[in-house]
Amino acid sequence: MKPPPFDYEAPTSVEEALALLGRHGEQAKVLAGGQSLMPMLSFRLVRPRIVVDVNDIPALAGIREVDGTLAIGAMTRQRAVEQSALVRRRCPLLADAMPQIGHFQIRNRGTIGGSLAHADPAAELPAVVAALGGRLVVRGPGGERQLAPEEFFVSYLTTTLEPGELLVEVRLPVAPPSTGTAFVEVSRRHGDFALVGVAASVTLDEAGACVGAAVALTGVGPTPVVAAEAAAVLVGGRPDARALEEAGRRAAAAVRPDSDLHASAEYRTHVAGVLTRRALARAVERAQGGGEAVTP
Amino acid sequence: MPRLHVDRLRSGDGSEDEYRVVERTGLAAWDATTALTVVGRPYPRVEGAEKVTGRACYAGDVRLAGLLHARVLRSPLPHARIRRIDTAAAEALPGVHAVLGTHSAPAIRWYPDGLLFDRTLRFVGDEVAAVAAESEETAADALRLVAVEYEPLPFVVGLEAALRPEAPPVREGGNLVGPPKVYARGDAEAALREAPVVIDETYTTQTALHNCLEPHGCTATWDGERLTLWDSTQSVFDVRERVAETLGLPEHRVRVIKHHMGGGFGSKQIAWKHAVIAALLARRAGRPVRLMLDREAENLAAGNRNATRQRVRLGATRDGTLTAISARIEQDTGAYLVGGEGSNTSAIYQTLYRCPNVTTEQVGVYTNTGPAVAFRAPGHVEGAFALESAMDELARALDMDPLALRLRNYAEADQRRGRPYTTPDGLRLCYERAAAEFGWRRDRRPSGQGSRRRGIGMAAHDWGGSGYPPGYAWVKLNGDGSAEVVTGTQDIGTGTRTGLTQIAAEELGLPLERVLLHLGDTATGVYAPVSAGSATQATIGPAVRAAAAEARRQLLEAAATMLEAAPADLQLREGTIRVAGAPDRALDVADVTRRIAPHMIQGHGARGPNPDGKAVRTFGAQCVEVEVDVDTGEVSVLRVVASHECGRIVNPTLVDSQVLGAVTQGVGFALMEERVVDAGGVVLNANLEEYKVPTAPDVPAVVHARVDRPDPEANATGAKGIGEPPLVPTAPAIANAVFDAVGVRIRHTPLSRRRLLAALAAHRPEPA
Repeated sequence: MKPPPFDYEAPTSVEEALALLGRHGEQAKVLAGGQSLMPMLSFRLVRPRIVVDVNDIPALAGIREVDGTLAIGAMTRQRAVEQSALVRRRCPLLADAMPQIGHFQIRNRGTIGGSLAHADPAAELPAVVAALGGRLVVRGPGGERQLAPEEFFVSYLTTTLEPGELLVEVRLPVAPPSTGTAFVEVSRRHGDFALVGVAASVTLDEAGACVGAAVALTGVGPTPVVAAEAAAVLVGGRPDARALEEAGRRAAAAVRPDSDLHASAEYRTHVAGVLTRRALARAVERAQGGGEAVTP
Repeated sequence: MPRLHVDRLRSGDGSEDEYRVVERTGLAAWDATTALTVVGRPYPRVEGAEKVTGRACYAGDVRLAGLLHARVLRSPLPHARIRRIDTAAAEALPGVHAVLGTHSAPAIRWYPDGLLFDRTLRFVGDEVAAVAAESEETAADALRLVAVEYEPLPFVVGLEAALRPEAPPVREGGNLVGPPKVYARGDAEAALREAPVVIDETYTTQTALHNCLEPHGCTATWDGERLTLWDSTQSVFDVRERVAETLGLPEHRVRVIKHHMGGGFGSKQIAWKHAVIAALLARRAGRPVRLMLDREAENLAAGNRNATRQRVRLGATRDGTLTAISARIEQDTGAYLVGGEGSNTSAIYQTLYRCPNVTTEQVGVYTNTGPAVAFRAPGHVEGAFALESAMDELARALDMDPLALRLRNYAEADQRRGRPYTTPDGLRLCYERAAAEFGWRRDRRPSGQGSRRRGIGMAAHDWGGSGYPPGYAWVKLNGDGSAEVVTGTQDIGTGTRTGLTQIAAEELGLPLERVLLHLGDTATGVYAPVSAGSATQATIGPAVRAAAAEARRQLLEAAATMLEAAPADLQLREGTIRVAGAPDRALDVADVTRRIAPHMIQGHGARGPNPDGKAVRTFGAQCVEVEVDVDTGEVSVLRVVASHECGRIVNPTLVDSQVLGAVTQGVGFALMEERVVDAGGVVLNANLEEYKVPTAPDVPAVVHARVDRPDPEANATGAKGIGEPPLVPTAPAIANAVFDAVGVRIRHTPLSRRRLLAALAAHRPEPA
């Protein structure tokens, strides 16, 4: 079916967009890449009075490095991030995650900000931002605020974005030297949402000891789960097989997934452990290779 | 000309006499020595450009002036009675032109025991009311305004629950669809008692959904008392008969058209309610009506492959000779009888292997879910999963190569009817080709690294696909030397149009582009049966050839006069008629047709009988390699080699496509696809987001090891069917390969990761 009737505006500046969102409040929906909103409109699951299309705002797209962080505009296409040499070099975990998002046709349209603001509990990007402790830059009538992932993601498809606010940018810390990363997931089918996905990052010192590690999981709860205890196992020692096994066990212990049509809670818990071990092992391997992430 | 013979077969018992009708064409079959130039070549689909440019007109694409759009309100409850229905608000909605429901629709009989709109509803998705409006959206809004008061009734979901003595009855008389169908030869029980080796296991298969790319539906329009239906159907003549009967119209006042089709897979081989509902709405509104099911309705109420539970017992001697096969089969027919009850899961047990003692018992079970209907090789897919898994288990028990076990029990005759096959070595050829291409080796060991293990498996099948009479075609030669073929058959997406055009072009000695085939129209076409049972090419191909041969005979007689030669001395190729031995004496076909125009050469053809005393069957074998991740339970099918004996291959590209498509569906059946119904009777995945069919990246490398050998005893073209067979062995071959890889046997489709991990955990203690 076709969506129910709605008004349509395509502002060309953030200020203009904010004015429209401020005026219409909860009656407005922001259209970014349209990969989730358009089907929801067509199924008539959402019936906004107005759609504010932010595709014509050039200032919202782009990738730059500022003060040790990578700043990615909310309207940057996922495919652009995937193909960015800067992202591959400075934030390899993000680069690892990109090919796992849907199919390339989806990534051609889908945007970084759209996916984060949609907050699908099985999406890859929230887990990446959570693992790296990135910041979500939000602008609204009250000016700009920067939110940590745990302040942004609230529940299934729910964030702390207020009506009238717009996610404009995501900032991710640049990876230190000798960092290896990996994003692994299991899904029902190629290109499907993850049943479980794991984002992992490991930094080694010159002697090969782990000086930093991060793990976050997707698909195992309403919001991305940061498995700090799993990561902590590795820090301060050599990341050997025993440590990796233990990290997997702790990740499995840290999640409380639900059962659904596609996988039981038991299966997700089990696979969370397996994938955490695998993701960390691959990250370690890459860190040992000098931090250069290699496409699997 | 075909000769019609009508024999009276005296019944002898006082009941009505039966007649046997045979049409003999007198054509010598094309055999392996016949040199053919058009048949056998990989022509692209003749309608391909139309399809890829979006011009091909499907049932829902018909745009008529004043067209209305219809939607159907469906039961939210698995079993209920309608106490009260009020459609006044829906009727009052601007843009609504017609509303039908139990209270207002004519009492048209439907199913053996119901009405088109019945007060009793037996599954979530059962039809409650229908609306025709200016737009689909208005129709959907109107449905929300229909007030229905339901009286919920006790319901039952799932085979096991429905078979319990205390199960709520789906209908009066209980949940069994009649007495079990029993087949027996020899004494299987005695043979099992004496067998040194016995396999006794129970297998289950799931309810799978067809998910044709084009949903069910039609566009209906009335011209006075004449009804035209563009219906997405595998059988225009069956729909015409049913609709005419239901609406009390003579058949010649109902025209059913199906030009192009986005798949049917058996789910469109009957007339469904939507055709009659659309016709009634159109008559009530006085405007044409388009009623296409959406994906949800498609997956609730347009058929499915029945779930089965099969207890299989095999008895064998130590050298691997089968002495007994016994199968007890229960299958989930759903709420109504629409054909699924006919899925013959027993058949493959009776025929695939040589065995003197065979018993099968099959019973259908009613449940409060959508009705089952034929689905690509109905019964055989389910039966083969159990039988071919059990054969693999037997091979393991005997420490025998699964291929050697199959060859030891090779059947050269149809043991049900005591008739030899026309191709007794057909299956053997498939085994040989598949094994050679795959590199099947008995001593091969499972391989793989770390958590990823690789294994190989195989499975075999037989199937019908002989085609059968009756079926008709006409050929007309135009003044310019082009030819038109007319038949009433359907191209359900398989490429029938192309294959039949090749047959006609071959016989007429014309290049393919000088022949155009018309099909899928009861008003202009001559009778052809339902496109089902992999029978279309083998049923209508010979009729087309017979019609073309009749036209060719007249053409050569006319040319003989013009060339002053005897017809027998003429050669016809590529549109040119030459006198043998005199290359300068030649005419183009157009020279002949132009000179006699407007007199016209016409040929009429009929499908001749199948051979007496022999069985025409198709066969196949597939070998697969899988990789199993023992930590996550993921199964990847790496490659499939498929070899199928389907007689002459009329068009290798089309046959390869059937193999690729069927194997893809087999991968889905084995690993992904399953309709999930919750405890409340609601289908949780009646959409393509949640119901997983394989997508392009999930399809393994498929090699079709062709067996292209005419079966001239089968029919005058030597070609048999290929539409269904390649789906049959894929799932058991995958299950057998999984066992080979990791040593656990999964006896249930789909082979879920949860089941696999649980079996692995039970099989092998966790390393300390």
